Amino acid sequence: MTVLERFDRATIQTSLRSTEFTLAVLAAVGFTVLASTTHGNLLTADTLKALFQFLAVPMVIGLAQMVVLGVGQMNLSVGVLTGFCSVITAYLMVQSGWPAWLAVLAALVVGLGVGTVNGLLVVLTRINGFIVTLATMTIISGLRYGVHGTATFQNYSPQLVRLGQGSVLGVPAIFIGAVIVAGLLAVFFRRMSAGRRLLASGGNPLAARLSGISNDRSIVIAHALSGLLAGVAGVFIVASSGSVNASIGDDLLLPSFAAPIIGGVALAGGVVSVLGTCLAAFLIRLVDVAQAQYGINPRWVDLIVGAVVLGAVLISQLRSRVSGGSP
Amino acid sequence: MVTDVMEPQTEVRPTVATLPFWANPRLGLLVVIAVLVVVFSSLRSSFLNVDLTIVPMQADLSVFVVVGLAQLAVLSLGHMNMAVGRMAAISGFATGYAYDKWSAPLVVGLLVGLAVGALVGALAGWIIAATGVNSFVVTLAMDFGLLGLVSLLYSRFSDGVAFHVRPAGMDALRFDTFSDYCSGNVCGPQVPLVVPIALVAAVVVGLLFRRFRVGREILMTGSNLRAAALSGIPTGRRIVQAHALSGLLAGLAGFLLAANNGAFSANIGDQFLIPSFLGPVLGGTLLAGGAVSVIGTILGATLTEVIQTGLNLLQFQVQDLNVFIGLILLAALSLDRVRHVLAERRGARI
Amino acid sequence: MTAEGLVKVFPGVRALDGANLRLEAGTVHALLGENGAGKSTLIKIVTGVYRPDAGRILIAGAERHFSGPLDAQHAGIGVVHQERNLIPAFSVAENIALQVVRSRFGFVDRAAMRDTARDCLAQLDVDLRVDRPASDLSVAQLQLVEIAKALAVESRVLLLDEPTASLTPEESEHLFAVVRRLRDQGRVVVLVSHKLEEVFAVADTVTVLRDGRSVAEGAPLAGYTRGEIVDLMVGRAHADISLAARTVDETAVPALELVDVATASGHRDISLTLRPGEILGLYGLVGAGRSELARALLGLDRITAGTVRVHGAVARIRNVGDALHRYRIGYVTENRKEEGVFLQQPVSRNVAVTVWRRLARHGVVRDRAEDELVNTYVDQLGLRISGPRQLAGQLSGGNQQKLSLAKWLAADCDILVIDEPTVGIDVRTKAAFHELIAGLATSGLAILLISSDLPEMVTLADRILVMRDHAITGEIDNDHRYDTVSQAVIRLIHSDTAA
Repeated sequence: MTVLERFDRATIQTSLRSTEFTLAVLAAVGFTVLASTTHGNLLTADTLKALFQFLAVPMVIGLAQMVVLGVGQMNLSVGVLTGFCSVITAYLMVQSGWPAWLAVLAALVVGLGVGTVNGLLVVLTRINGFIVTLATMTIISGLRYGVHGTATFQNYSPQLVRLGQGSVLGVPAIFIGAVIVAGLLAVFFRRMSAGRRLLASGGNPLAARLSGISNDRSIVIAHALSGLLAGVAGVFIVASSGSVNASIGDDLLLPSFAAPIIGGVALAGGVVSVLGTCLAAFLIRLVDVAQAQYGINPRWVDLIVGAVVLGAVLISQLRSRVSGGSP
Repeated sequence: MVTDVMEPQTEVRPTVATLPFWANPRLGLLVVIAVLVVVFSSLRSSFLNVDLTIVPMQADLSVFVVVGLAQLAVLSLGHMNMAVGRMAAISGFATGYAYDKWSAPLVVGLLVGLAVGALVGALAGWIIAATGVNSFVVTLAMDFGLLGLVSLLYSRFSDGVAFHVRPAGMDALRFDTFSDYCSGNVCGPQVPLVVPIALVAAVVVGLLFRRFRVGREILMTGSNLRAAALSGIPTGRRIVQAHALSGLLAGLAGFLLAANNGAFSANIGDQFLIPSFLGPVLGGTLLAGGAVSVIGTILGATLTEVIQTGLNLLQFQVQDLNVFIGLILLAALSLDRVRHVLAERRGARI
Repeated sequence: MTAEGLVKVFPGVRALDGANLRLEAGTVHALLGENGAGKSTLIKIVTGVYRPDAGRILIAGAERHFSGPLDAQHAGIGVVHQERNLIPAFSVAENIALQVVRSRFGFVDRAAMRDTARDCLAQLDVDLRVDRPASDLSVAQLQLVEIAKALAVESRVLLLDEPTASLTPEESEHLFAVVRRLRDQGRVVVLVSHKLEEVFAVADTVTVLRDGRSVAEGAPLAGYTRGEIVDLMVGRAHADISLAARTVDETAVPALELVDVATASGHRDISLTLRPGEILGLYGLVGAGRSELARALLGLDRITAGTVRVHGAVARIRNVGDALHRYRIGYVTENRKEEGVFLQQPVSRNVAVTVWRRLARHGVVRDRAEDELVNTYVDQLGLRISGPRQLAGQLSGGNQQKLSLAKWLAADCDILVIDEPTVGIDVRTKAAFHELIAGLATSGLAILLISSDLPEMVTLADRILVMRDHAITGEIDNDHRYDTVSQAVIRLIHSDTAA
């Protein structure tokens, strides 16, 4: 039976297609319903812009988590790392007078570096990734305040903020950035050998090892990538919100899991879905917008999202049970 | 015909040489705690000031020991409870509601809260057992859901944020120590009233896993689910029970926190998640399940509390504390790993 | 390739004691040996997983030292294990080309990948669409993909470990056609198998391992009969193994009776009677449904029709707890590591887990009661442990199996279903186990023995039921004479092919 068990997991691959399809349908339906019931309010340029503007960061955060889920790991430090990178960017611009592009670059380097450290810790100490990132999450959540205390940064690089809050042909710039990131990731996992190696490590570590793939390297790369993406999200926040402080990221952890899980990514590893994660983030955003439009208590959103995450996993569980393993 | 593809001798074994191994991390913790106490008290003599430091420390420690026990309850299964904080919150709501709307006496309100906590935990356990979905995901989703629910409930039923009604005895829990109770000329020690509650919880949990059949069966379920089922253990029931226990303990922790702070509010449990893991993990309980250490959890929580209090006195900011706590966790785990590897190298087989 | 004088010692056991393996290109070479003879150790040394303590490996005359499995692979030695080692989410092509895939600027060369895959599959004369995800394939197809993968890395030597363990007869035939093709291409196929019929059908030469040494090295298979091979493997004249004769009281109420039972996994019309003191054998190939029947009996699967009677009374077994506590039925699982033993728990808990309910006073279990229990069974079973607190994971395979059995004895079961009891256990311990099982029957237990080990079956069982495709094809009274009984069994196994 053990022969087949590993392949039960793989039927998620086939159900993944249908998950993506389902999500796409849900997204379309949800959007349409929302648009019509708000009497077209949704379709006004401003509302639409806000919809996508605030979709960028959750999308990237979800992707950051998805990357490590693909090798069967978790990154609990995603949220606070985003905040850390935001604060560093702002600090470098305001306190050290760095030009925007350099500060952004520095933030990305920091994100990449922290991610790499996470990965190295996991690999070298062989401690569960959950605990390692729990520890680094704790450390970084404190380090955020070490940069400049609880003060808020404002009035940094007006060009950056203009870029962050601006739009191209009505589409918010950071959303375009997020889409580009998603696209690059999709290519990475589908076409690039490094990405395929990651998925091989996640899908069947033993087989991967016997095929000459270094699982350790896959884990480090995945964590590094995750950190980098957290850095990207942090930069997006700096650019689009105009003011940052050290508390950013406290509430980003749970959403970072919600998107990939609803998007069909397996916790066991080996399967990623960029499309699914993005669609899921979109759906969550739709719920947010609905909450704003209808004046529903925002807490209901949390309730709904929680239920949806559970439902999504249940469905994928049931599906893989029904289709079973190979005969 | 099944052949052993992987004969275990030269593969990495997760097992440990012999049981005395468990004694080491706890002894080590004790030593570290003692050292830190000496260091802190030499740096700040107020560390040893009973009223100023020791008493509040005990009160906080009580909360965090119980929080650690709440996580330990499911770590026994190899599961996680990501919703310990919110379970504490909703349990706190129920207790506060009982005090506020029903004018319930202290103990009754507590029992109501514990029951609610246990029910929510049982629900999580039931979902996990029935669907086989990873406990991380289920409790994470629950956390999300409860987050919303708790806020909604508080905004509807309380003054918006908290219950401020205090039943008789609550103030005593908050402010008194045993030294306030004297018979004749003999007064009790300066131990807050909440401490025995935490101690009782620890003893009960410890006994449960050490001596009671139910506790052992839970550990076996955590060790190997399929073997447990094939050995006649009602694994589904045990999973539900372990999670229910977790919810109940989370509720107790919430109650103790509320007692310390004087009010039941929606943000009870906000800070529970990390400490819930710190205590058990520092104390040697494995994430994989099958073995727990209550004493280790108490020591782990004590260590964390000593560090936090000491650093506070040295006027480190709250945020810096986090950095240190995280570093300590990493260091402790790395050391444990090293110990593991050394023990494995020396391990013998029959 | 030649392996000479290989020695490998593990703590407590000398797995290989001067084993030799000589392979000639263009042959199908069978590697035979009882469980515990050293086959898997030899394979692991040859494939680079272990390093030998003594001896050497020569490839085309040149001595080689493998630093790891990859090194062995580069030297041209490929292996297809019993468990599948493919990436489920990847396509057939990607799995086959996983190690040889070329990339341009970091991008995977999909076209080249597909070509390589098609090429390898064509060499095997296998028809599979290379874009299908591996998760879509059947076990047999996956195996072929793994062989194709070994071709992709240009293996000259291909080791197949129990390849037909999960295959139907048709699929096995197809596999053998592939094996013959590989041989004709000039490669060496080493076939490790327990199924002598297959070995004789496909192999040219044979090496037999016994107790860590080679007793027949590269000898042409044509020179041996089945019986002679078995003699070589077992090391004694394969006469009727005599255990103390047992008598079964035919008039006693059957301990267990199944009447026309059908299950949700596809069993139909299963009827059997098991009396106290009797050992009823259930023989069959993989996929016959024997373990599944046992699980249905324990309540792990639904019984959709028929009646189950325990000691004469109709029984409705809802779960394992029911089976154990109400009906005193125990099940010694075939997967002792995954399901039979709690590796991370001490021996004492492993033994007492089934009896805590009985040992507990007001829900509390005293350690001392547990320890007393453990000592009883340690003695009875000859369990070698350093103390009741020793962790089960540190015991040898044989001791773990005894441990797996111990908890059922402790639970005082009077019906015991034993599933593949001596897999992966050395010959001496195996014999001791057989005596143990016979002893249990003598003391009154009713035993349902599931085994694919025909000699074991013939040694132990009073009657043998042959199962095939979830149904019972026949029953044989066992007179413990291997030649006649084994023939009768084999005939029943292949009952609808020309006998």
